[in-house]
Amino acid sequence: MYLNKSVKEINELLKKKKIKPIDLVEEAFQNIENNKELNAYITLNKEDAIKRAKELEDKEVDNILFGIPIAVKDNIITKGLRTTCASHILDNFIPIYNATVVEKLIEKNMIIIGKTNMDEFAMGSSSRTSYFGAPHNPWNKNKISGGSSGGSATTIAARDVLFALGSDTGGSIRQPASYTGIVGMKPTYGRISRFGLVAFASSLDQIGPMTTNVYNNALLLNAIVGKDEKDLTSVKKEEDFTRLIGKDITGLKIAVPNYFMSDIVNDEIISKVKDTIKVLEENGAIVDYVDVKYLENAVTLYQIIAMSEASSNLARFDGIRYGYSYENPENIEDVYLKTRALGFGEEVKRRIMVGSYLLSGENAKIYYNKALSIREDMRKALKEVFNNYDLIIGPTTTTTAYNLDDPMDDPRKTFMDDVLVIPVNMAGLPGLNLPIGFDKNNMPIGMQIIGNSFEEAKIYQLASYLEKKLNLNLDPNGGENNE
Amino acid sequence: MSNYIPTIGVEVHVELKTKTKIFSNSTNGYGKMANSLTNVIDLGYPGTLPTLNEEVINLGIKAATILNCRIRKVMHFDRKNYFYPDISKNYQITQNETPIGYDGYVEITKSSGEKKKIYIEEMHIEEDTCKSAHRGTKTLLDFNRAGVPLIEIVTKPCLSDGEDVKLYLEKLKELLSYGNISDCKIEEGSMRADVNVSLRKEETDPLGVKAEIKNIGSISNAKLGVEKEIERQTKLYDKKETFKPQTRRFDDKIGDTVLMRIKETGNDYRYFPEPDIPFVVLTDEMIEEAVKTIPMLPDERREKYLNIGVSDINTNKLIQNRSLSDYFNELLEEKINHQIASNLLLGDISAYLNKEEKDIKETTLTKERFIELVNLVDNNTLTSKNLKEIINHILEETKSIKEIMEDNNIENITDDTEIRKVIKKIIEENEESVKDYKEGHDRAIKFLMGQVMKETKGKINPKMAMDTLKEELE
Repeated sequence: MYLNKSVKEINELLKKKKIKPIDLVEEAFQNIENNKELNAYITLNKEDAIKRAKELEDKEVDNILFGIPIAVKDNIITKGLRTTCASHILDNFIPIYNATVVEKLIEKNMIIIGKTNMDEFAMGSSSRTSYFGAPHNPWNKNKISGGSSGGSATTIAARDVLFALGSDTGGSIRQPASYTGIVGMKPTYGRISRFGLVAFASSLDQIGPMTTNVYNNALLLNAIVGKDEKDLTSVKKEEDFTRLIGKDITGLKIAVPNYFMSDIVNDEIISKVKDTIKVLEENGAIVDYVDVKYLENAVTLYQIIAMSEASSNLARFDGIRYGYSYENPENIEDVYLKTRALGFGEEVKRRIMVGSYLLSGENAKIYYNKALSIREDMRKALKEVFNNYDLIIGPTTTTTAYNLDDPMDDPRKTFMDDVLVIPVNMAGLPGLNLPIGFDKNNMPIGMQIIGNSFEEAKIYQLASYLEKKLNLNLDPNGGENNE
Repeated sequence: MSNYIPTIGVEVHVELKTKTKIFSNSTNGYGKMANSLTNVIDLGYPGTLPTLNEEVINLGIKAATILNCRIRKVMHFDRKNYFYPDISKNYQITQNETPIGYDGYVEITKSSGEKKKIYIEEMHIEEDTCKSAHRGTKTLLDFNRAGVPLIEIVTKPCLSDGEDVKLYLEKLKELLSYGNISDCKIEEGSMRADVNVSLRKEETDPLGVKAEIKNIGSISNAKLGVEKEIERQTKLYDKKETFKPQTRRFDDKIGDTVLMRIKETGNDYRYFPEPDIPFVVLTDEMIEEAVKTIPMLPDERREKYLNIGVSDINTNKLIQNRSLSDYFNELLEEKINHQIASNLLLGDISAYLNKEEKDIKETTLTKERFIELVNLVDNNTLTSKNLKEIINHILEETKSIKEIMEDNNIENITDDTEIRKVIKKIIEENEESVKDYKEGHDRAIKFLMGQVMKETKGKINPKMAMDTLKEELE
């Protein structure tokens, strides 16, 4: 057992040749096998991972992530490794190119262990829209892991591996991280290249790290950021995200939007967040409750913007060049209609239809353009908070993880799950989920820490401070807490 | 047939002459193996994103300037959503809300001599689609063209007949090819025109039902298509028949337009701003830099050529040949006979270039040697007959023209004393003919001239000899 050790320890062992990357890879696959019923993966990269691990044996251990297994969400393109987006329409799709983040993982000599389960095309908040069935929450197998990065959250929470990549369009990293008791970061929009991330809502999508602890999270972020000439929306801002970890929080000014603590949030969660605020205040941070305008509009804006963009982004899946194609079409119309009718699941089709309607004729002006302009107001309102405060905090979710068999018949409910995480995407800000405790059913509760643009390091500073103070045991199997 | 007033608008797509495509680094090329100039971006693979070729923005600025358009300094791209196999993403990236150029015009000169401005509503940048080829029940797709940069130039509905359309297209082609914006080769599809035609009875009537003519393979077909369409609509109106807005194509074989499809009302392209490409902001410096590189345009050339004494015919011929015109531009400041220079370029030199399939830049004719040549012809040292004999040497060797003449034994007696000596001798020897001449028999001078040529073995300069002969005979 090595994957329960800290990354630094593993790195030492690798350097001293006491272990080899293959040991880590075999252990990861054993863990995944033991936790098979969690359904965290869509495709395992067994053969290739073993081959890569063996190749690394002759290489110098050149960085702290060397030889360490990582799980990748299945909407991130991996060359030669099936990438399905949890959809029937791509269930035979083997890409001939890599996402830029994947290239970066390979550069760091990390080993991709497999592709994790998710909501189909990242559309959902429980991973139950997956064509491959939903993942199960390691804390309670009858509960959801959240979504859309449910598979990545599951495999991290279950301690199969130490690192995973997720993607976050409207909370899809932070919400499942909260439901499963792990650390998940959605970085500033533009921090990480989106090249090779299958687009859901281009102006909101962002890849981010999901890990068992704060330090690992910052390490993985270090490895994947940077300007990419293949993504015009990416920006050059490279730095060491671990640099403020371990620093004191005295004098740090923190804002809590009143809306985040209103009656939309479950009482147990509110009280846990209040406990945490107390810890912060006792340790020298200044915490104020503030009003932030437009937050209550975030879900509506999100629905309009995300579904409109999605309707266009998903138009390319037409059965002509790749992916599933209807077998016996009568004409081109038939290729489109039947491929898409049979290839996409219900939630995806609903969003494409709503999005198409929202952009149709004059609607684009009434809805999409209007939403973009209110979004800008909301962004300004949030940015204004940072004139006076270092960070914004609040609960990540309104409830803890609910049952897998809860009804899915109310499409609006799934968006309400994300009401607290969506504003961050709308404003392009960085936001992180930190586990802060458990409810009476022993399901994890998470706190969201939001920073100003490009101030991820400050988020990690607060998160790591709290992580240490709270010293929670976050292993669902009761194993040792790793630091 | 009654008379109706036609209203015509033209939409022209031209492919830009860039090295790479607009949103990816695939080569922008023509006539290569199908799908060999493509990558995962052109093919719309999942997760791929567009990049933006700066060369395209530069050419857009230049084109807007050449077409007298105003330039928009803050612009973005939009997605035009529609399902069709020719567009890999099932949306085309274009500029719907913020075209780079707007409110422009070009001027044409009608055969009546009337000058007319053709107003340009807007011009925008977009990506070309792939080429489809129908084979029986199958359709083959070649994505080499997908993502080739285009500008679309849309006129106001201000053209009134086939001639307007023809002259406008010719003018556009001349301007854009001179501006190095596009090849404008209609036959290769790098320039494509769609023409909208409608008729109405009176200027004050609302515009009539519109027919769009597509698939026009040449400028003369554009004119013919418009004329045929006006004729067709006139007949329908005369018979009090109505028709629906429609798309027609020009059929080369029958020389007429045929119905392609009736236009569905309200094509819904669900436009919205392209979120993958940030807004493009043009600075004054960027615009200035781009405008600086616009080569001298035809109208300016025309004016300059005429001013230095080149004939109308030669001026137009030079401008039709870009390469010769560029060559000629280097000589504008030289003190030479420009009419002779243009004669040489368009005459023997062009004949050689056409025969050898060469460009003038591929010959040995440096500016200095060409000036020598022009002066030798100008002062009658080299006759046109002699020039034809040595033109290959002139264009293939690097020796001075004088040396080449010597090598080829070409001598031209231009020395006045010598010419006079020969002529006096001939006059003395042919008293009979001199007498005939003085009595008014014009034929006699030709005979005398023949004798002069015979005496000098053709080496005397004919013009000078004739002038001197006349003088001596007075």
